[in-house]
Amino acid sequence: MIRDRLYHDLTNRGITGWIVAALLVWFYIALYFTENLTPVAQTFGLSSKWDLYGVLYTVAVVTGGIAVIRKYGHNRYQVVRTSVVMFVQIVFAFSIPMMLKALHQPEYYLSYFWPLKFDYMNPEYLFNQPWPFVVYTLAASLVIVPLLGALLGKRWYCSWVCGCGGLANTMGEPWRHLSDKSSAAWKFEKVSIYSVLGVSLLLTSLLFYSWFTKSKAPEVVQFQTWYGLIVGSILSGAVGTGLYPLGGTRVWCRFFCPMAALLGITQKAGKRFHIRVKEDMCISCGLCSKYCEMGIDVRAYAQRNESFTRASCVGCGICSEVCPRGVLRLENQSELVQIRSGR
Amino acid sequence: MHLVIVGNGVAGVTAAMAVRAADPRAEITIVSGESEFFFSRTALMYAFMDVMQRRDLEPYERKLFREQRLTLRQDWAVDLDAGARELRLAGGATLRYDKLLLATGSRGRRAPWERPLDGVVRFVSLQDLDACERLTPGTRRAVVAGGGLIGVELVECLVHHRVPVTFLVREPSYWPAALSPEEGELVAAHIRAQGVDLRLNSEIESMQGEGRVTGVTTKAGEQIPCELVGVTIGVEPNVEWLRAVKTPPALNRGIVTDAAFRTSLPGVFAAGDVAEVEGRIEPLWYAAKRQGQAVAQSILGQSMQYAPPAYYNSAKFFHLEWTCAGETQGPGRFRKLPGREASVRVIERDGIAVGFSMLGTRWNHRVLTRWIEERRRVDEVMGRLSEAQYDVEFGRVAL
Repeated sequence: MIRDRLYHDLTNRGITGWIVAALLVWFYIALYFTENLTPVAQTFGLSSKWDLYGVLYTVAVVTGGIAVIRKYGHNRYQVVRTSVVMFVQIVFAFSIPMMLKALHQPEYYLSYFWPLKFDYMNPEYLFNQPWPFVVYTLAASLVIVPLLGALLGKRWYCSWVCGCGGLANTMGEPWRHLSDKSSAAWKFEKVSIYSVLGVSLLLTSLLFYSWFTKSKAPEVVQFQTWYGLIVGSILSGAVGTGLYPLGGTRVWCRFFCPMAALLGITQKAGKRFHIRVKEDMCISCGLCSKYCEMGIDVRAYAQRNESFTRASCVGCGICSEVCPRGVLRLENQSELVQIRSGR
Repeated sequence: MHLVIVGNGVAGVTAAMAVRAADPRAEITIVSGESEFFFSRTALMYAFMDVMQRRDLEPYERKLFREQRLTLRQDWAVDLDAGARELRLAGGATLRYDKLLLATGSRGRRAPWERPLDGVVRFVSLQDLDACERLTPGTRRAVVAGGGLIGVELVECLVHHRVPVTFLVREPSYWPAALSPEEGELVAAHIRAQGVDLRLNSEIESMQGEGRVTGVTTKAGEQIPCELVGVTIGVEPNVEWLRAVKTPPALNRGIVTDAAFRTSLPGVFAAGDVAEVEGRIEPLWYAAKRQGQAVAQSILGQSMQYAPPAYYNSAKFFHLEWTCAGETQGPGRFRKLPGREASVRVIERDGIAVGFSMLGTRWNHRVLTRWIEERRRVDEVMGRLSEAQYDVEFGRVAL
């Protein structure tokens, strides 16, 4: 069947997969580093290339989301989660910023927080905003995000709210299995993601220091520029999304996102969210590992009857969905305690 | 100690790792002609359906054998001389062993009407997978004979590849070995809803073709033209090769062993699907894994008595999941869940729950087997069933 072969090729790093990846990377380069997309945006009556990007992004999340809901319609967790992702994208990441812009207000993206949205914690920017936004940003980034991460796992953000995760779990669905499951990739991940977190914390500290001392060294300005270029444009855009057809959907989230790093720490420290493994029922088929977008070798835990929490796990729940023996279950601690105590 | 293991399935590899964990100095050789790496046989269908690639079937990273210092001989064992403690391989080499573990698993059962034609497949080994993948493109219709779990897996794969399938099941209801007639009806309806021509009470009488199969004739006299015939009438211990060796171990249906997995030959053990442990064969993945763990103790000279826990199993018929615990046959209470393809059945004896068969929703078999062991009354467990539910979050099914 030609259709099956083409789909296989597109989703298994075949020639079409490489072509789509090249087109996506080219798109991101054009978006971030040129004005080539501005006239295209204007053709559609949009004021800037960023509005065009917002429209395309939202359309991708919604169409991909509908496909995902059709595919996993029998699984309530997937239906609820995907609906929330689509809702957040449409309302908080698209409609509200566009309305604010139409009203000549700064376009706030209320579903993005520091350190993912790095500028929001830049004091030069933050403290020039209206006070409700200042309160919202500080409370969300410093209290709500880590607190919910500890209580519900990082999934509340990474696979329920975040736009990057939203795109990965909707439009990116056909490529989720391409993540690297090797232990070498896990080693790299631990170095890379905490390095980016360290760099972003350092930069934020430097910005606060400069703001307090009212003197900004040129090196800090340069640091800021390079961070925006490498982390903001190249890693999260071109690499993170452009390479979906080659490296899977969560390259950015897994290896580079400082917010995912922070949430991963709170997820581990919170000791509540975990994937529970039903005892002695695993048949080592490996579908869980294959379809883990974060490259976690879930089977390694399942086949040795080990319930687990991994810092990188975004709680998308697909391992549990694809398991043919119903071995895996996403849980928060409270439920585990109830079950263990026999109720 | 030189331990030679014939077969790198789950029993053999689990035993090898357990022996290694206890004895860092043992020399361990695994003989297998089937594959260079340990792979998950249970996932064959996912490779056939292209939702996994071959390499994804391997439960461990390839460095495992190196790290665990396990030597793989990719060859077939052909002769056994227990007196000289020697195993001869098809390639001509002879391996001397101190302890020998026979873990050659199961093979697909042969049917009396079978003829050696191209297009006749089983679905147990990697070589079977190769054959299925090679034959599928030239197949306009497939006939799968035998309604067990492997049969329905093969049917699902063929349907996935848009091959029209006629699924012949000998019994009057679907899989009566484990399912009640009502459950069989539910599963049969589900299979038919996938576009499968499922026929109960139907068996193959003969097979037509020269070189490649061209059709089959059923016992009812109907001719079904087809280019592929799946023979999935069950599995049997893979012992055929042992009948011709110099010193065969005692064989019945499988290799006869005592509760410590010792065969009739000195220093020779058997475990997994091939072993008939005190008259009992457990052809299940989890059992083979458990036996692999257990036989390692025996090989290491520790005294042990293998006692299998309460029976449980699970399966998936296309999209319909199934969990069972304890006994599956006998009088019981059946309830179809409202508004969905799902049911619960509790098998009872003298008012005590002795088994569970749950279709269409997820269950924690550990809770179910515990109730059986605790001899709970059926009235009580019917009221407490929700404690054993294992559905996804937000997806708790109303009973």
